[in-house]
Amino acid sequence: MSDTQTVLDPVASVAVVGSAGVFQPLTSLQGRVVGFIDNSKPNFNLLADDLGELLMSKYGVARVVRHRKPTASVAASPAVFADIKKECDLVITGSGD
Amino acid sequence: MVVCSTAFITLGRSQLKALGCADLPVAVMPHPFGVRSRDQVRELAVVLVDEIARLATGGGEKLVPAGTSAVTVAAAAAIEMPADLIAFNDACEQRHWSDGLPLVPPTAARVEAMLAGSRRRRDEVVARVAPGFGVATVERIAINAVMAGCRPHYLPLLIAAVEAVADERFNLQGIQATTNSATPWIIVSGPQAASLGFNAGINCLGQGARANATLGRALRLVMQNIGGALPGAMDRATQGQPGKYTFCCGENEAASPWAPLHVERGFAATDTVVTVVGAAGTLNLNSHSKDAADLIRVLAESLVYPTSNDLHFAGEPWLILSPEHAEVLARGGYSKADVKQLLWAQSTMLAGRYARRDFERVVHARGAELGAISAETALPLAATPDGIGILVAGGPGTHSVYVPTFGQTRAVSRRVGD
Repeated sequence: MSDTQTVLDPVASVAVVGSAGVFQPLTSLQGRVVGFIDNSKPNFNLLADDLGELLMSKYGVARVVRHRKPTASVAASPAVFADIKKECDLVITGSGD
Repeated sequence: MVVCSTAFITLGRSQLKALGCADLPVAVMPHPFGVRSRDQVRELAVVLVDEIARLATGGGEKLVPAGTSAVTVAAAAAIEMPADLIAFNDACEQRHWSDGLPLVPPTAARVEAMLAGSRRRRDEVVARVAPGFGVATVERIAINAVMAGCRPHYLPLLIAAVEAVADERFNLQGIQATTNSATPWIIVSGPQAASLGFNAGINCLGQGARANATLGRALRLVMQNIGGALPGAMDRATQGQPGKYTFCCGENEAASPWAPLHVERGFAATDTVVTVVGAAGTLNLNSHSKDAADLIRVLAESLVYPTSNDLHFAGEPWLILSPEHAEVLARGGYSKADVKQLLWAQSTMLAGRYARRDFERVVHARGAELGAISAETALPLAATPDGIGILVAGGPGTHSVYVPTFGQTRAVSRRVGD
């Protein structure tokens, strides 16, 4: 009797979709528009308040755009995506707790 | 850019990779974040803003680009594993293929036999399974079915269950990755539920029936091996629940006074249908009441508590009525719609019972549905009476079962094909 047997792999490796280069670094934050997508987890709204203020006062960000998802585990609406695409140079979102 | 706490960094990075955005910067802060005081949040922001500025201007580590390859649907690879069953299972554990219980080796011959249970092509793509978005081909589903101990004629039901959990309304992404205990509960209704051996009677949520045990287990293996949600990595459940091993039962159509679940949900009586529910757990509801109105009252009171996800998000909680309880209600003249309406109306909770922070969250989460919410607002468990699911299952006894849900999920039904 052989010491081994051949079995079929039950695992699908994590799929890779889309393309590289999604993130394009900015040369500076001066005069930029920063968006927040609040994931509705506790305290993210307060963190976004503080980060927004600090980004403007310390790094010269021109203005901040705020969006908030109804709940954390559902995607932001297409209208939110359309707005941030039009308005923002940098978007910050929360993940998890 | 993503901001997350240390406890979620593995999930965040894995998901960015799965979605083709591995080069997006992640600003990490210490966990736990949500319990911090207002002053502590400000202190954190002062530090975090510098990190965000550094990452935004390209100061982060240079990650390997995600690549541009499209999703490929390769046949499952053949792998040499120990022939000895104990050694095989040790190797499965090391490869993280296992739910912790022994597995059946998925040899080519066993997978062929499993595939014979369905007419679908082996390379057909059934779904991409969150949160890793691995491709679930019929073949790969069959491999996991073999490992779970399924009989070949369960395969069409498993395929239907995979389609159902992958439906956007089910929110598999949330259920797989959440800290909540949520897991799919599979309900099998229609003619094949009994003929295939699904237990809908005594101990239908407990041990003893191979169909119940292995179909639920196989879906878990699919979610882990194809969806990629390994505990501690992308599966972030704080404790999880025993139902994550398997959670499946039939509908006791013969003992139900009402139309079967699949007919209620728009399918033909002759269809066999799989329904998945994003279940948070089970709670025994014991009442000897023989009075319909009195029974409704005590069942309704048992459904509300101020830490309920359903209450929080207007969910879709379920009640498994024992045949005896269903008979009391039917003899009292109630249709299933009446039962839903009465339970819904009598299971509201005053918002003032919430913890202060939870009250603030519900004001936001349900504001669009209910308008301004005050401490005196009576919150219903679901947005409408029909949002309360009712199934008749189980054997003799005065026990019904409450199945609260993840809240941000909807039950999805799929007809079982050939």
